[in-house]
Amino acid sequence: MIYKYLTDKRKIGFKLLLMSLFILLASVVGIVFKKMGFPETNIVIVYLLTVLVYARLVDGIAIGIVASILATLAFNYFFTVPYLSLSVLDSSYVITFVIMTVTSIITSTMTSLVKKSELIAREKEAESNTLFKLTNQLTDAYDIEVIASIVVDALTDRFSTNAAILCFDEDGTPENAYVQRNKAGDQVCRNVKEKKEIKRKIENLHESYYEGDEFHDWPIYGRESILGIVRIPLEEAQKMDEIQNRLLHSMIESTALAMDRIRVSNQRIREREEAIQERYRGTLLRSISHDLRTPLAGIMGTSEMLLDMTEAIDQRYILIDNIYNDAKWLHALVENILCLTRLQEGKLVLKKQLEVVEEIVGSAVERFLLRAKGREVIVEVPEEAFSVPMDAKLIEQVLLNLLDNAHKFTSIDSEISIAVGILKTSRIALFTVKDSGSGISTLDLPHVLDQFYTGKNENSSSKSGMGLGLSICDAIIRAHDGTITIENRKDSNGLEVTFSLPLEEQIND
Amino acid sequence: MINYDENILVVEDDVQISRFICYALKQEGFRYQAVDSAQGALEMIVLGHIDLILLDLGLPDFDGMEVIEKVREWSDIPILVISARDQDKEKAAALDIGADDFLTKPFSTTELMARIRVAIRHLRKNIGNDTNTILIKDDLKIDLSKRLVYLREVEVHMTPMEYSLLALFFKNIGKVLTTRYIIQKVWGVEYGDDTQALRTLMAGLRRKIESNPAKPQYIVTEIGVGYRMKDI
Repeated sequence: MIYKYLTDKRKIGFKLLLMSLFILLASVVGIVFKKMGFPETNIVIVYLLTVLVYARLVDGIAIGIVASILATLAFNYFFTVPYLSLSVLDSSYVITFVIMTVTSIITSTMTSLVKKSELIAREKEAESNTLFKLTNQLTDAYDIEVIASIVVDALTDRFSTNAAILCFDEDGTPENAYVQRNKAGDQVCRNVKEKKEIKRKIENLHESYYEGDEFHDWPIYGRESILGIVRIPLEEAQKMDEIQNRLLHSMIESTALAMDRIRVSNQRIREREEAIQERYRGTLLRSISHDLRTPLAGIMGTSEMLLDMTEAIDQRYILIDNIYNDAKWLHALVENILCLTRLQEGKLVLKKQLEVVEEIVGSAVERFLLRAKGREVIVEVPEEAFSVPMDAKLIEQVLLNLLDNAHKFTSIDSEISIAVGILKTSRIALFTVKDSGSGISTLDLPHVLDQFYTGKNENSSSKSGMGLGLSICDAIIRAHDGTITIENRKDSNGLEVTFSLPLEEQIND
Repeated sequence: MINYDENILVVEDDVQISRFICYALKQEGFRYQAVDSAQGALEMIVLGHIDLILLDLGLPDFDGMEVIEKVREWSDIPILVISARDQDKEKAAALDIGADDFLTKPFSTTELMARIRVAIRHLRKNIGNDTNTILIKDDLKIDLSKRLVYLREVEVHMTPMEYSLLALFFKNIGKVLTTRYIIQKVWGVEYGDDTQALRTLMAGLRRKIESNPAKPQYIVTEIGVGYRMKDI
């Protein structure tokens, strides 16, 4: 119907025109009746019928009332004496007029009301149909894109607009394009300008929607974050009534539920995959370490036994001792490589826990003394026990490496020390390992933390393995958000290695 | 030269390792038997005459953990686990289901022999129904009947918690006690897994008995597993 496309002003004009036509028609019928000699009551009834039919066709109670009055006036004008005048001679007609007006007002009003409730019922039905269809389709949707496409279709069908949807990703940032249906009925993606702007505006929203230059943007609120926005073009959005707003709201709710469901299941899948990968990695590392340790145990144990069977003056003693020491060195290397693989796996999972520092230092020294027989170590910790968040196994490995290093470069009767202190102001714990060996040449000093750097010095055999040991220390400390420094001692000969660990867990963004 | 009456069962599938352990046992004067499977081990144990088990966890037929569980159903024979697995969780699990001690490969034979001697000393004490109420370790002395502790013959004041912790270690000298076990014994079963409380208590105890808490003479930390009172 053309009527739908008229403006409000024109609509009223159209209604009034129609009203005049109806009353005119009734009057013509009345005149015919009069000519044929029918009684006046018939004419009244014709007018009443006309108002009823008119009220049925046209929306609005007020316009029905106007029509009722107009009908009475027309009856007065055409069929009461004096004819073709609004004045009345016979006062009994006043009763007729009143009854006629009241009757037609009541009938027209009732008709309008019936019509209106019919309309509401129809709209409600359509609304629940739309929602039912939407929910049904959304239940089968398996990812966010499918949901977006279903919702765009539903919105477009229901509101006859160029409605669009813009999904946000899991961090709450809008995606690059929003989905809309073009004139040919195909869905297209349109680029979004000023994503950050949209994000900011939606996040700081106080009303139920945001009024932009082009669209009204309705946020889709998920359980944890904003999942996206539904965009209704400005022109149509302004025309939406209460009922349509309510429907839109319900549709957005269904969309939010469906999107949340997808997000949760995606997250679960991801977690499961990560767990599988983690388990696989763990198994691999475990089996490698197992397979390397077993033969080492054989070599070390057997050579130890052989040492036990051989006199120290025997030439073979020194050879067996070599085997034993090499195996021991290989063992230390294996431990370090295992640490390194754990660290360099890209995503490092530190098993950080609050650990009492003296326990870790104590354990490292204990283990060190087991393999460095005859060595003395000076250990100093603060009087007060304190804890630092760390991966105990890895920090113990760092201390072991540093002690091993010190041991290697310091004669057995010279001093090795390990000390721990707290810097209350900068909230760090400082660990220092000092030896009284020859130190490191200033040439090598900047490179000692580089991986596999073993020094340019003539006495650095490829076997010293110091490069790897120290670079592992560096990697472990950096993973703990600490720093490590290596320098020659100023007070005497020897090397001083210091590393720091933050006293509190740092919150990473 | 047999110096010990105890019979030791070596359960190890790696021939080399089994061989040198047996050799070391012979040198030390132990009687021993060696098997290379879990099934074989269980058969030997059921036959009797085994006083101590050296158990590898990675056995070809089934896991050593199951051997511990099965043996513990009916016997208290000391079990010393020797394993190439170094995961703290597995160590603690093995100890919690009833292993007495744990050595990680590669290990030194001196260390192994020391642990075996500790286990055997416990065995004899238990058989002889040890009624000694005064226990001594170096300069440290505990009187279990009077609930008193002396360091170099000077009485050390202890809180009741510290005392029960120290007494627990004295009763299990040389043995690794898992954090879970200690918490159960000192605080009670329903206390849960509050390791921080234990650590604080331990720090306090160490300050009373150790001259340097970071270089302990008596109670050493087994990182990720628990604590052990030194025997040698």
